[in-house]
Amino acid sequence: MKKIINNPNDVVSEMLEGFARGNPKIIYFPEFAVISRKEKKRKVGLVSGGGSGHEPAHAGYVGKGMLDAAVAGNVFSSPGPDRIIKGIKEANNGEGVLLIIKNYAGDIMNFELAKELAEMEDVQIEYVIVKDDVAVPDSTYSTGRRGIAGTVFVHKIAGAKAEAGGTLEEVKKVAQQTIDNIRSMGMSMSPCILPNVGKPAFELAENIMEIGMGIHGEPGVEKTEIGNASKIAEVLTNRILEDMDFIGSEVALMVNGLGGTPLMELYILNNEVSKILDSKNIKIHRTFVGNYMTSLEMSGASVTLLKLNDELKELLDAPSDAPSFHV
Amino acid sequence: MGFKMSSADYVDYINYAAKIIEKDGEYITALDAATGDGDHWINMDTGLKKLVSMEKELSQLSLQDMMKKIGMTMMSVIGGSAGVLYGGSYIAASKVCAGKDVIDCDLLGEILEAMRLDIMNRNKSEPGFKTMLDALYPAVEAFKSGKDAGLEEKELLALIKQAADEGSKSTAAMEAVRGRACYQADKGVGHIDPGSVTMAYLIGALCDWATKLSN
Repeated sequence: MKKIINNPNDVVSEMLEGFARGNPKIIYFPEFAVISRKEKKRKVGLVSGGGSGHEPAHAGYVGKGMLDAAVAGNVFSSPGPDRIIKGIKEANNGEGVLLIIKNYAGDIMNFELAKELAEMEDVQIEYVIVKDDVAVPDSTYSTGRRGIAGTVFVHKIAGAKAEAGGTLEEVKKVAQQTIDNIRSMGMSMSPCILPNVGKPAFELAENIMEIGMGIHGEPGVEKTEIGNASKIAEVLTNRILEDMDFIGSEVALMVNGLGGTPLMELYILNNEVSKILDSKNIKIHRTFVGNYMTSLEMSGASVTLLKLNDELKELLDAPSDAPSFHV
Repeated sequence: MGFKMSSADYVDYINYAAKIIEKDGEYITALDAATGDGDHWINMDTGLKKLVSMEKELSQLSLQDMMKKIGMTMMSVIGGSAGVLYGGSYIAASKVCAGKDVIDCDLLGEILEAMRLDIMNRNKSEPGFKTMLDALYPAVEAFKSGKDAGLEEKELLALIKQAADEGSKSTAAMEAVRGRACYQADKGVGHIDPGSVTMAYLIGALCDWATKLSN
């Protein structure tokens, strides 16, 4: 393992401290691994979070027009309820708090417990669960679809609605509407190394890619010989289009890097995905290419489509000064 | 005379269990790498070491407060699913310890039952889902059946330990419904669930410690 770290046990706290040093508009609470907005305003508060290792998620999305607080757990592990409660308290400005949770068993249990405990202190709380990964079958029996890069669109749109003065009910509604209209699909070419484990949890042979791998290295749907950018774009996009009908609609497109893939390749992938969408009469309203929801140094990418209507478009286009999502 | 486990004795048990978990890091991490992301052991190890570092404080608390403190600490330090499930189960256990000075055999049964219920409710899980519950559930059943059969305390403790261990091993054949293994095409079949292994170790260590105290 070659990493720019000190002690593997300190990566989360030192990362957040470094993040805070570069961002004057946020406050960092080291004992809770919480990053929150310095500027307070009477509006619905938005909290998200989860395991670390997905940077810039979630701290990078704290800012005017997006999240009010981000709560970090250990690498790839949900934060405990004590931390989440701190995030809720910092985000609460008297108009209620919406929790944006990615669909993982650990995240849901910890956020639900935090919600129960914070409600005892008279904070009004609602939550939504993001499940955009079409690699996993939707299921009511098992945990079902994972929350991946599409989560960032939920932060953005719910954040804009809250900033515009939406009530808790309205912000939750638009967040849920966004979730219902997002689909993502990813692929990976090489593993990541958890700092406190020190070696890769799996290996992928030189010419092999894994379709549908999760952002924690969870196995995907298929290991297959790697194709060119055009082929990869086709596999990912088709999988999304098979899951939901986007034909004729306007979309926001995100081509997300998993941490170890250069922007050059992400732009090439974007070019290919955009060509496919054009050919299918899917109109791209806005494109985001970059590392938004990563998996440490894993190489690979995901594609996310969000079907837009007028309201979602307006909220997506509203300003945000979050450090990792300037609009 | 059966065993009587005070707060200080329980803290000794935690020390003993922490050593057992520490020793088997490579094995548990390898199991986790097969079906999860490989950090279960390090998170459990970190959590138990944190408890060991608090031994003085913990051993001076009442049973109820000690259980609660252990729960809050595990939730916070371990994080993830394991943290909230162990944490919640210890908080549930603290309730059945209210007003008690020591854990005897009957209270041990109540504690394990309270933990089992809390974990099932929180994770909406049942035995057979390939989780830590698959070690705990049969351990509670063994307690009940052994008690009904009128087993001697030491035999009963040995039976509980064995049930947890066999329960954990039985997860190899199960399809995962909860946790990261459920995302695998084969649902982790063929691999033992690492969460059930650490649970079986912790139950086994508790039985060992209680056996030692009943001498």
